[in-house]
Amino acid sequence: MATIAPGVKTGPYHAVLDHIHPEPTSFIRKYIFSIDHKVIGIQYMITGGLFFLIAGMLAEVIRYTLLQPQGQMGISAATYNGVYSMHGSAMVWLVIIPLVTGAFGNFVMPLQIGARDVAFPWLNLLAFWMFPVAGVILFSSFLIGAPDAGWTEYPPISVQGPPGTTLWCIAIFLIGVSSTLTGINFIVTIYKMRAPGMTLTRMPLFVWAQFATAGLSFIATTALAAALLALFCERVFNVPFYDPSRGGSPVLWQHMFWFYSHPAVYIMILPAFGIVSEVLPTFSRKPIFGYKMIAFSTVAIALLGFSVWAHHMFTSGMVPWLQLPFMIITMLIAIPTGVKIFSWVATLWGGSIRWTTPMLFATGFLITFTLGGLTGFFLAAVPADYHEHGTYFVVAHFHYVLYGGSVMGLFAGFYYWWPKMTGRMYNEAMGQWHFWITFVAFNCTFMPMHWLGLMGMPRRVPIYDPAAWYVFWNQFASISSFVLAASMLLFAYNFWSSFRSGKIAGPNPWGARTLEWMISSPAPYYNFKKIPAVLATPYDFGNPLPYLGLEAAEGATEATPTHSSHPVPTY
Amino acid sequence: MAQRIVKPKTNLGPGFWPITALIVVVSLIMSYFTWNSAWPIGLIPAGDPAPATDFLFKFLGVAAAWIFNIVTIYTIYFGIVFRQPKHAPASTIGVQIHDHPVLEFWWTVIPTIMIIVLGIISVKIWADIQNTQGDVLTVEAIGYQFGFQFRYPKLAQPVSGVMHLPLNTPTTIHVTSRDVIHGFWIPEMRIKADMVPGLVNTLRVTPTVPGTYRIICTEFCGLGHGAMKTTVVVETQQDFSKWFAQQGATTGGGGGGAIPLAAGKADVGKALFGQKCSACHSTGPFDQKIVGPGLGTIFNDPAHPKLVNGADPTPQNVAKIIHDGYSGPIGVMPSAQMNGLTNADIGNLVAYLASLSKK
Amino acid sequence: MSVSIAKQGYQLGHGHDDHDHEQVIYQETRDMRLLGFVLFLCSDVVLFSSFIFAYIYLRTTVAPIWPPMIDGHQLPRLDTAFAAVNSVVLFGSGVTMHYALENWKHGTRAMYNLFMGLTILLGAMFLGGQAYEYAHAQIGGWSGNTFGASFFTLTGMHGFHVFVGVVFLAVLWWQSSRGVYDHERYFGLTAGTLYWHFVDVIWVALFFLFYLW
Repeated sequence: MATIAPGVKTGPYHAVLDHIHPEPTSFIRKYIFSIDHKVIGIQYMITGGLFFLIAGMLAEVIRYTLLQPQGQMGISAATYNGVYSMHGSAMVWLVIIPLVTGAFGNFVMPLQIGARDVAFPWLNLLAFWMFPVAGVILFSSFLIGAPDAGWTEYPPISVQGPPGTTLWCIAIFLIGVSSTLTGINFIVTIYKMRAPGMTLTRMPLFVWAQFATAGLSFIATTALAAALLALFCERVFNVPFYDPSRGGSPVLWQHMFWFYSHPAVYIMILPAFGIVSEVLPTFSRKPIFGYKMIAFSTVAIALLGFSVWAHHMFTSGMVPWLQLPFMIITMLIAIPTGVKIFSWVATLWGGSIRWTTPMLFATGFLITFTLGGLTGFFLAAVPADYHEHGTYFVVAHFHYVLYGGSVMGLFAGFYYWWPKMTGRMYNEAMGQWHFWITFVAFNCTFMPMHWLGLMGMPRRVPIYDPAAWYVFWNQFASISSFVLAASMLLFAYNFWSSFRSGKIAGPNPWGARTLEWMISSPAPYYNFKKIPAVLATPYDFGNPLPYLGLEAAEGATEATPTHSSHPVPTY
Repeated sequence: MAQRIVKPKTNLGPGFWPITALIVVVSLIMSYFTWNSAWPIGLIPAGDPAPATDFLFKFLGVAAAWIFNIVTIYTIYFGIVFRQPKHAPASTIGVQIHDHPVLEFWWTVIPTIMIIVLGIISVKIWADIQNTQGDVLTVEAIGYQFGFQFRYPKLAQPVSGVMHLPLNTPTTIHVTSRDVIHGFWIPEMRIKADMVPGLVNTLRVTPTVPGTYRIICTEFCGLGHGAMKTTVVVETQQDFSKWFAQQGATTGGGGGGAIPLAAGKADVGKALFGQKCSACHSTGPFDQKIVGPGLGTIFNDPAHPKLVNGADPTPQNVAKIIHDGYSGPIGVMPSAQMNGLTNADIGNLVAYLASLSKK
Repeated sequence: MSVSIAKQGYQLGHGHDDHDHEQVIYQETRDMRLLGFVLFLCSDVVLFSSFIFAYIYLRTTVAPIWPPMIDGHQLPRLDTAFAAVNSVVLFGSGVTMHYALENWKHGTRAMYNLFMGLTILLGAMFLGGQAYEYAHAQIGGWSGNTFGASFFTLTGMHGFHVFVGVVFLAVLWWQSSRGVYDHERYFGLTAGTLYWHFVDVIWVALFFLFYLW
């Protein structure tokens, strides 16, 4: 190791950062089976966006059915059950998780740590291609009878369920393997491949979020794989794990499933926290408030997230005293989450705020996610949960967390990094309209579900109480959800027109300070002509940029790619 | 990037204290209405854990209102006050402050204290619910696709359809399922438990307001899930007794003392078997299962030399299973008390089963 | 080797000649792969742990007695003596694997070949023993009851890992005979050894849970 600048030593993992391949020239190697993290990130984004479209349409079928208390002609109970199960499964596994980790993690994270790619680019390629395959398998279950027991697929009903449930097991297993591989890849990348001088506490907060998320994915996802494997064996080979008449236990599935699926909630939300932590300081023109507390609370949430799974099972029949530790640890998660929210609000204070579209979405996130977090309290308190479990209150809660949280965060990230991906600006006015319609329609769709649930509407029903009160609020939610869906047209059109004829963005349209904005837009094939050295955290808007080596690279000759597949035999 | 720093605003903003006062006033108003609403979730409390649960709802509602108002109103206020002026130069920046340890300390400590208080209240209410005395009346609720059955002690037949509960009587409801997982929810009493096959979950409630309330299935159970609901009628003890009397033959309930095996009469046992057992058991061989195994060869089955609990097939051991009930790999059977069987009944049943095995 | 841009701009602090630079790149690559591989094994541990949890849950909270009663019979316990012998075979292969790697590092090729061959042989013997045990276990088969379900699933998964390990080691052996590794650069062998020890450790847990408990 040597000192390359005052206070900056070369990291021990620096030589390998410099190792580069020539840019592929064939279309297939460039855009289909690319190992470039940026291309893979965009592939995730396009595929995930496509699945978002399908899963969103399924959501509208649900809301259409619920326009009338007796359901709709042409939508049988079997169809309805398949539709809502696939809506949930697809949104969780094919949309949000791949988008927050695969898409934004892949595209942004290596750029932010000053790396040329992820640690294992071929593994990344493999992990990506499992994802569309899993998606096709999952949706093809509609052809043979879609799974009908919800995204949680509780046995025994899922053991008896339609044939598509087996395909569901296979698809989710595949996406789980993909998620595990991505998690391992990201941990090694972040741990070993940061640019020299980028200590852990100089990492952008989005990288912290990806780090914690990767830890959750690679540990928790295999627990889901085990649960799915057992369900698959029970369905196909009649192996008794969950069948109570043969000594199995339906509650066993719930333990195994939620041991993954609660951490999965944090897999879905932590990267959104990361996006918001990037967007807020950039557009407030001031450092993120309490950097270390935000980074630390990210890790704390991830760790606590492993020990709260049974709060989904308060009515399932656990040993009663076990409910208490799960309730208390669940409540403890509110402390690091609260610290984050207050820090974000404090980041706004004293800022010089530019109300661009990503900033609007990040602020909208702040408000809707806070509401979702607060209803989480109502569900964590066991006696209150006895009333709310399995009702529309739960549906309202997790849509506030996942749509109001993750998806709002995704929109913020999408508008924020769009110039970096394409080199073009989107239409700002249209983006702001998109935000306001989304924000209002979202709240109108999901807010009534709180009181619908408390008053006695269970979830997963195609028909409901025909009293006028229920009908009114269901129709209110349905019509709002149609508006919410329509706002996506604005979003799509905006990016379509930007892609074709948007204003050229330049390397750093936002005046942001993280490393991805230091290079041209769209980012060049090898990201950095020269790996920069990092001298400080990125968020000090009052100081000069804390990077060395970037200016020198301007005049330097292009990197000469190596032509061997590896510079040295590395077995 | 140019480093010209426009003098940032270092104050809290022009209207900070008025806005803070607004937050307090709005939160106080919301707290007042939440706290003083008779039914915080919009449903009357019709049974005993409901008032305690409602208290928790009120507490949670008040805490949530404060936190929500603080976050939302400050966010909007800061967003308006600290917005960048229209023609500000690109290099305009905000206050370069990184953290504020005192502030961070308090916004960690105050929520922590709130959580401790909330935790204590929740644990207290939880403990009250767990320790509620309910055993004056014990009812068993069985879910099936797609309906509910209720079994009352000393009642020969299970009741389908509407459940009846006497007013002000501490009641224990054991819930289980015959096929898949169902939910058992009485919203007006704030009680819910999953009906899990192979598992008995326990609810305790004391109905306090006469009326007819909903019972709703809250776990997805198949095509008829949306329609799986019934009602519970809470009525005075007299009305309940009248209804109870209309439910057909009653029997005594499993008391203590020895089981008179020697005095058992097979013909009486046969009639009892038809009322009490044949819903789940056939009189064929073991493999002729309905819910439980067939009992026709229980005392003399070379393929099954032991009982389901591993004991030898003696009359005493069979009587013990009928008396205690059974829960194990092949399913769950309620106890004699639950089934409304006296010791004499058990003797008669054992005699009947023995007569079957001799054929 | 070709020039990388490490040669341009500021110095990286590594040696100046190509061999040193190559060595640094090798070490960095190896360390990243090692970390990745260890993380992979960690997530594999969770897979086994989940099924072990399922087994303990079914055994302690659901079944009234263990081994469970099936059709009036209590199932027999598994054959501990045979499994103990088979375990010794597997643990022995762990020892030989250790010596195989040590000998590779010290460049004693003949001993390396001996120990590597022994490891693969012992691994295959263990699989044979497992097959024998599967054929003779009187616990009602895979789909008969929860005992069979947990036992055959867990040991089957473990057996699959052993099988993959045997193939993995055979490939490594073939590679080492072809000169893919030298006594300084042998990450593949390190990974193979780690994997094989991992398989051993899992078996310790399974042996305790199924035969001694």
